[in-house]
Amino acid sequence: MPDPDLTEEPLQFGEGGRIFGILTLPSIPPRITQELPAFVFLSAGVLHRVGPARLHVRLARELARLGFSSLRVDLAGTGDSPPRPGLTNQESVAADCKGIMDVLDSRLGKLPLVLAGLCSGADNAIRLAPREPRVIGMILLDPYCYPDDGFGVREAVNKYTNPVKYAARLKRAFNALKSSHEEKKNGDKSVDYLAIRDLPTREQLREAFVSIQERKGRALSVFTQYARPYYNQAGQLDRVLDVEGYRQCCTELFWPQVEHTFPLELHRRRLVEEIMTWAAGYIRPRTSPGGLAPPQPATVTET
Amino acid sequence: MTVICPPLFSEYMRTQHALRELAIVLAAEGQHVLRFDYRGTGDSSGDLEEVAISDWLEDIQLAIREGRDVSGCTMVQLLGVRAGALLACRSAGACAEIEKLVLWDPVQGGTEYIENLRHVQAEILERNRYLSRAERREAMLEYGGHHLSERMLKEFHSLDARAYSSVPKQKLHVVSTSQAAAFPVEGVSRDVAQFSCEWETPTEDQMLPQPVLERLTACLTLT
Repeated sequence: MPDPDLTEEPLQFGEGGRIFGILTLPSIPPRITQELPAFVFLSAGVLHRVGPARLHVRLARELARLGFSSLRVDLAGTGDSPPRPGLTNQESVAADCKGIMDVLDSRLGKLPLVLAGLCSGADNAIRLAPREPRVIGMILLDPYCYPDDGFGVREAVNKYTNPVKYAARLKRAFNALKSSHEEKKNGDKSVDYLAIRDLPTREQLREAFVSIQERKGRALSVFTQYARPYYNQAGQLDRVLDVEGYRQCCTELFWPQVEHTFPLELHRRRLVEEIMTWAAGYIRPRTSPGGLAPPQPATVTET
Repeated sequence: MTVICPPLFSEYMRTQHALRELAIVLAAEGQHVLRFDYRGTGDSSGDLEEVAISDWLEDIQLAIREGRDVSGCTMVQLLGVRAGALLACRSAGACAEIEKLVLWDPVQGGTEYIENLRHVQAEILERNRYLSRAERREAMLEYGGHHLSERMLKEFHSLDARAYSSVPKQKLHVVSTSQAAAFPVEGVSRDVAQFSCEWETPTEDQMLPQPVLERLTACLTLT
């Protein structure tokens, strides 16, 4: 069932073809696509290029229907790209980035780029954006954010005034009484993703947004309930970064009811719609002068 | 040549790394290995809601044909994982060119598998206590976080243990990760490689079940 709106091609590139990715190209004339940025989906954590519940595949194909090309890639050590022994995570990602830029240059020309990533994918996008002048956009799903001045107070208020939290605590205590010693011992096997992330420093985080702002680019940040230990109010990233013009170029969304990897289809659909609306901001109306569309008014919201 | 028929949905994500590792080990042993994604899953074309079980059965046939054409091998063995085991047996189990089918934690049947997905969905909903009534109603229609078409559901329900019993017993070999796991056909050779796969847990965390991979390698390299 080939899709008439797009074509997809597996690519092996980088030194000795060690990086694997899928290039998605829209089936519309190149004179239109040449004006638009290409999207790069960086693999998230240990998940491979398709993204959680196929999110990257879906986004790549929806973007192609709008005219955008994209590459979803397995960074070294994930999916079908072997690890780079002896390199730190950041050195390895930097080497992968060079391979990604080279292959995109050879296939699409020197297009502006939008980096997209969830969790560690967002961390990598943040570190790569300032170094690569062609990056004019970022889609960050649960990026890290440092606490602002009001974080602790908000956290305390939320902790002691939220009746749902009391109910959950009671339920946990009740369940703990019910469960056997063995079950308790094997209890919480969930992975603490935050503890294993190679988080960007405060300076790196700011540098990424400054570089996007200076390039007249745009950024979309979405925080889910996973981010609650470090992010608890829409607009916190804006306050922490204190980047002039942030609100003109950055959209910051807080979705505290949504899980980190968007396991529900209804949440994935909402995210895809949000990203498509955001991406459509790059498409210049027919009547406006050449180049990319100017930044759209951004939003900072909690829903 | 070995064709790997992967599991579905979150199980596909969880086993991606393990199945790649297995493919590398088998290749190092001198075997050709083909991994693929069914239509509407992974990197393959289509959306889940557009495809049916019959498409996936056809995909397995296509993968076997492609693998044979590319490798020049005449004899093929299949590895089916979870629902992939059911699909592999239903699609190609009775074909003469299939030498062996190794099944890793095969699901009992389509109905049981759908029940499993409903259980996973219930756990996801339990974690999502703040959904509005409308959202909850909508989410109740999902199976393990996915919308499945009526046609797909109907076809799952019609896939039962006959898929396994249609395969000559001597071709089948089951690798279970729990002693308690049952297989609907009696008299089939079976190994137990203890590992806590927790298939009914709603997660996409990667697993690297070394004892299972060792057992599967042994089964698939046995001449």
